Amino acid sequence: MENIISAEDLVVVYSDGTRAVDGVSFRVEEGGFFGFLGPNGAGKSTTIKVLTTLLRKTAGKVSVAGFDLDRSPGEIRKAIGVVSQETVVDVDLTGRENLRLQGRLQQMRGRVLEDRIEELLGMVELVEVGDKEAGRYSGGMKKRLDLASALVHEPKLLFLDEPTTGLDPQSRTTIWEHLEKLNKEDAVTIFLTTQYLEEADRLCRELSIIDHGKLIAGGTPASLKAALGGDTISLTIGDPVLKEKARQVLRTIPGVADSFDSDGGVVAYAQNAGQIIADVITTLDRNGIKPSFLSISSPTLDDVFLRQTGRRIRAEELLRKETEPFLS
Amino acid sequence: MSIIYDTRSLLIRYLTKLIRNPTLLATNLLTPLLFLVLFSQLLTGFGSFLPNSPGGYLAYLTPGVVLLSALFAAPLGGVSIVNDLNSGFLSKLLLTQVSRPAILLGRLVTDMLVVILQAVVTLVAGIALGVTISSGLPGVLLILLTVAFFEFALTGIFLYVGMKTRKTETVSALSGVLFFPLIFVSSAMFPVSFFPSWAQTVSRYNPVSYASDVTRSLVTGGFDLGTLATAFLMIGAIAVVTFTATLYQFRKVVN
Repeated sequence: MENIISAEDLVVVYSDGTRAVDGVSFRVEEGGFFGFLGPNGAGKSTTIKVLTTLLRKTAGKVSVAGFDLDRSPGEIRKAIGVVSQETVVDVDLTGRENLRLQGRLQQMRGRVLEDRIEELLGMVELVEVGDKEAGRYSGGMKKRLDLASALVHEPKLLFLDEPTTGLDPQSRTTIWEHLEKLNKEDAVTIFLTTQYLEEADRLCRELSIIDHGKLIAGGTPASLKAALGGDTISLTIGDPVLKEKARQVLRTIPGVADSFDSDGGVVAYAQNAGQIIADVITTLDRNGIKPSFLSISSPTLDDVFLRQTGRRIRAEELLRKETEPFLS
Repeated sequence: MSIIYDTRSLLIRYLTKLIRNPTLLATNLLTPLLFLVLFSQLLTGFGSFLPNSPGGYLAYLTPGVVLLSALFAAPLGGVSIVNDLNSGFLSKLLLTQVSRPAILLGRLVTDMLVVILQAVVTLVAGIALGVTISSGLPGVLLILLTVAFFEFALTGIFLYVGMKTRKTETVSALSGVLFFPLIFVSSAMFPVSFFPSWAQTVSRYNPVSYASDVTRSLVTGGFDLGTLATAFLMIGAIAVVTFTATLYQFRKVVN
């Protein structure tokens, strides 16, 4: 398979000196479903802005859709569709008018354009509200219209920057289904960024985890999780001395592959954790360590992130959900 | 050609938005009408002090207010581009194959259509109140051209400031601060002979005076090539300055 995106040592430094993207290299195969997973401020949006010609890179070699980013930005724009993080539709125009404007600006016209508009409205299930002003649409409907407008000129490569951030769970699932269908049935290569583990896990066949402008892990979701060495045993321990002691003690237990500090305790990885859990508890008890909470689970991509950074993506996610009602 | 097709596509977008926001359009049409009706009906006795204006104060005021339409419409483009910048719509436009100059052109043509509509409505109101236009239909067309050209020159200020500050509040505030002195210390509303000498001096260099002298000469006295040429040169000079700034800022935003 051909690489539809290739980036080598991509660096983006903002005028205030921030290294938003700090030497990132990756490739995306044609027909692939590729994702950047990382917390807020990791450099995901910056990377997408560079790949889609909106932002100038500081250094590195990038080609998109077979064209060099520096030499042929216009050719790249013809080949790609982009859905940005903030939903962008003209709220004064109807759904049809939004798509018509977008199609015209992509140099389409006449019957071909009108047929494409109807096809897209059907695809994103907005036919019945196609003549209503987009300002009256729900958040999920606006996002679907935005997605349709990115597809009007039938791009072979689609970029989505956190496509489901701020959407309700049902709208999120709908967007996921659309993206899976586009990738499978219409052979559209997809590059998306996300801070949602479920999203990355469900959609992406190939994944890079990004933090502070650097890629910290890459592979298929399954291989990333497998590399942790098995199931996850999480212990909640408040006392820092006991926490450190637990981390060391856990490593001595046969079957435990590794153990690490996590936010509120210790995490250990083990093949078939259920079979050694009795051993874990007695060993901890013998050492005077009584965790306030203990759980066994299959590893998630959050564990991969934790393993690499010592932090969780999920923590931020939960925090935001709690504070939102007070802010709005 | 793509630039014409794209300008037309964006013009359709802006006109649709205007029609869908009737209050905005109505406010724009109402402002010059208010000036015309209020001042002409309040200062009814003022006409006897104007020996050179046989149609009284209304005949003096009407071409001045018609010209002021240009000032009332000029900030629209600035507000619009700020909204597109902040909503991400401009980025979305830039990701298409749109011809870059068409993004500005579509907006400029829209605003010129708005200002022409304003000027026509104001002229019709003046005629309804009793003003006769001595230069006839060619004169009316020349009045509309003058107003549209003046609006074009002034709108560059707001496009520049809008793209620079990215705040609609700044655009609106600037229009008030800039336009009130420009309007009242000029020959647009009152003959400068009533002003103290400092105000006469300011008014003499005020472009609003030049432009409203053109529209007035076409309403009351007929065609005067000298007035027309001076005013168009002055407006042209303003346009060069404002659009150099606008294009500079636009290029920064686009790249």
